[in-house]
Amino acid sequence: MGTPGLKADCETILGRFQETDSVRFEEFAAIWKDMKFSHIYFGGMRNLEMSKFAREALSVASHYFLPPYTFQIRVGALYLLYGLYNSQLCQPKQKIRVALKDWDDIEKFYQDLIGAQHLDAAYIMRQLRLSRAFHFTGMAEFLTFRSQRNQPRHVGREEFKDVRDRVQDLVTSETLEEMLNIHEHYQKTKCLISADKSQPDRSLSLVKEDYVPNLKQLLSEHVTWKLEKGKPRTKNDDEKEENEEEKEATSQESEKESSERAKTLARIKSKCYGAVTQAPKSRRHRQVLMASSESSSDCGGKNTQKSKRKRRVPRKTGTLKGAKLGKLTKKASQSKKNMPTIPEEDSTSSSSEDNFVPKRTRKN
Amino acid sequence: MDENIPVYEVTDANTRLIHLGSFGDLWRERLQSCDLTLAADAGPIQDNSYVAQDLGCTEETAAELRLICGVDALKCSENEEEDLENIPEDSSLLTLGIRKKIIDRRKETLIVERACRQETFLHELEFHAVGKRPEDAADMVDEGELVLTLNIVYPVIFRKHKEYKPYQTMLVLGSQKLTELKDAINCVSDMQIGGEFSNNPDLAPENICKDLFKSAFFYFEGVFYNDTRYPECRDISRTTIEWAESRNRGYGKFQSTKMEDYTFNDLRLKIGFPYLYCHQGDCEHIITITDIRLIHHEDCLDKTLYPLPIKRHWFWTRKCSVCSMYTARWVTVNDDLAPDDPCFFCDVCFRMLHYDTDGNKLGEFLAHPYVDPGIFN
Repeated sequence: MGTPGLKADCETILGRFQETDSVRFEEFAAIWKDMKFSHIYFGGMRNLEMSKFAREALSVASHYFLPPYTFQIRVGALYLLYGLYNSQLCQPKQKIRVALKDWDDIEKFYQDLIGAQHLDAAYIMRQLRLSRAFHFTGMAEFLTFRSQRNQPRHVGREEFKDVRDRVQDLVTSETLEEMLNIHEHYQKTKCLISADKSQPDRSLSLVKEDYVPNLKQLLSEHVTWKLEKGKPRTKNDDEKEENEEEKEATSQESEKESSERAKTLARIKSKCYGAVTQAPKSRRHRQVLMASSESSSDCGGKNTQKSKRKRRVPRKTGTLKGAKLGKLTKKASQSKKNMPTIPEEDSTSSSSEDNFVPKRTRKN
Repeated sequence: MDENIPVYEVTDANTRLIHLGSFGDLWRERLQSCDLTLAADAGPIQDNSYVAQDLGCTEETAAELRLICGVDALKCSENEEEDLENIPEDSSLLTLGIRKKIIDRRKETLIVERACRQETFLHELEFHAVGKRPEDAADMVDEGELVLTLNIVYPVIFRKHKEYKPYQTMLVLGSQKLTELKDAINCVSDMQIGGEFSNNPDLAPENICKDLFKSAFFYFEGVFYNDTRYPECRDISRTTIEWAESRNRGYGKFQSTKMEDYTFNDLRLKIGFPYLYCHQGDCEHIITITDIRLIHHEDCLDKTLYPLPIKRHWFWTRKCSVCSMYTARWVTVNDDLAPDDPCFFCDVCFRMLHYDTDGNKLGEFLAHPYVDPGIFN
């Protein structure tokens, strides 16, 4: 039931504040004035509507005041709350709702502000608290057990988020070292209790020998992947990709009717198939494998099938010239080399595409 | 983390079980007196010296901060005469653009430009007690008191309420007893008058169901809280408890206890979870605690006004079939004189139509007193 545009406006002002690369209140106030943000309450709303709107505005802004957003965005959100709270036109003023579970974060944030000598932000935080602008609540939202349905969840902008790596939080170099030690100790103990003192008994080999190095390698892989992903996509990149896609599309006559939507779908799919998720321990015997062009021809063939399906090739491809088809498949298998295959489950391809699929696999 | 810090059990639906009293304690130990105070004025704590002390800076810096970070820094236009009603043309805000469109469209179609009656009433109800302070200082709400927001759903089963369940909203204090809430819940089934009075309508008794059948219970987390304040109260939860125990129905063992012995602070509840209030034997209201918070100095601070209704659904009233003006007070069945069966009448029309000047009954009919759901409007 949200007011349309409100969230976008808040994100715009926070985005502009983020661009300044500063946490000074003067910067924020300048943007605020430039956008004439306090006019957001204008338009002759009556009391009931006005208080509802003010509540909503404060609730939208307060999301950005809490983790997982970056420090700068949180400061921006604090200023935004300050502005929205003080410029609201209802009497008495609507309050900012704070949940008990979030209070410790806020308290810590305030200490950080003082510690880092961001006195303007700390002053404003103190000012809000002293003017008793907060409602200290159980939960930030009213929980009505769905008497009002389809309330969308808050989804914040990704750029504002503090990119915290859970994997790195979990496995630090210390824990790795610790694990290595434990593992060595474990091996030694096993050696001690087994018949042959130099090597542990075979019945005792319950964990993988190279467990720690493996973990380390996985971690470093993850870090590189993270770096790749974290690289800001420039507009240029996007355009280049678009051009390539277009070229592809035009080179394939059969894809004439592939709409814009299909293309974006394909792009999204290729993106998510590009990364393979680690199967949980209980399912590690069914680890998803990344199929590449180097894999066996059988696998590659299936691969092409799949990618073909993704690209929504209509049935009439059968009428195409053989040479062209060959080229086409080759191209497809190259461009989509990151398709995963799950070996056990892939044995039966869907029968509906059988009428044109075998042809192509043979060509391959 | 403390178990009494509410976190979602089901996301966006309800929290885990918390003890309300301990929840209040957790907040109070985290806050300072300046957060909790109910005084109208915050006092000298705004002074530069206090600012300097709190932020660990000099007084000059504090004065400078006050200058830079004052609310005035966010004023968008210099002139005081801002036009609050109209949306400025040059606005870059998306919200305003959309609102402008809506207003323009409304202006084209609207004939009378004013708040609708229901909106006015809703607003009045919501804000009638806001900011009220007690005349007697003894009635002042304590600092750091918990305020619960309860949604109490009406037990209507009309077809038109299939999608939207009407409810009333009340504010209750944590230190109040469950019985205080019970006495504050208005429901038409408490107002009913049983019986047939066509022979002499003046004899219709004054006492309503509320006075005759006082039993009621709340059901929270496996416990029935029965009202046993009066000798005529019965344990109406017994039927349910026995039913659950008679065969192994998988509900575990329900407990029952006395409603008057418990305040809300004593309860362990889930915020947002639907519970039950049952009275008059089978009139069942779903109760949801939608919010718990600490009291604020701008809330109603008069203890005696709680439980405080702040929202109520507006029911259509059934009008008299004769005058179509007054709310129905009587309903007749098997009525020779009426166009409908059953048929509704206000008191005046009912007597005028069905009795001669001496009060003798005319024609054959059965008459029952009728209580309209809209009488609380």
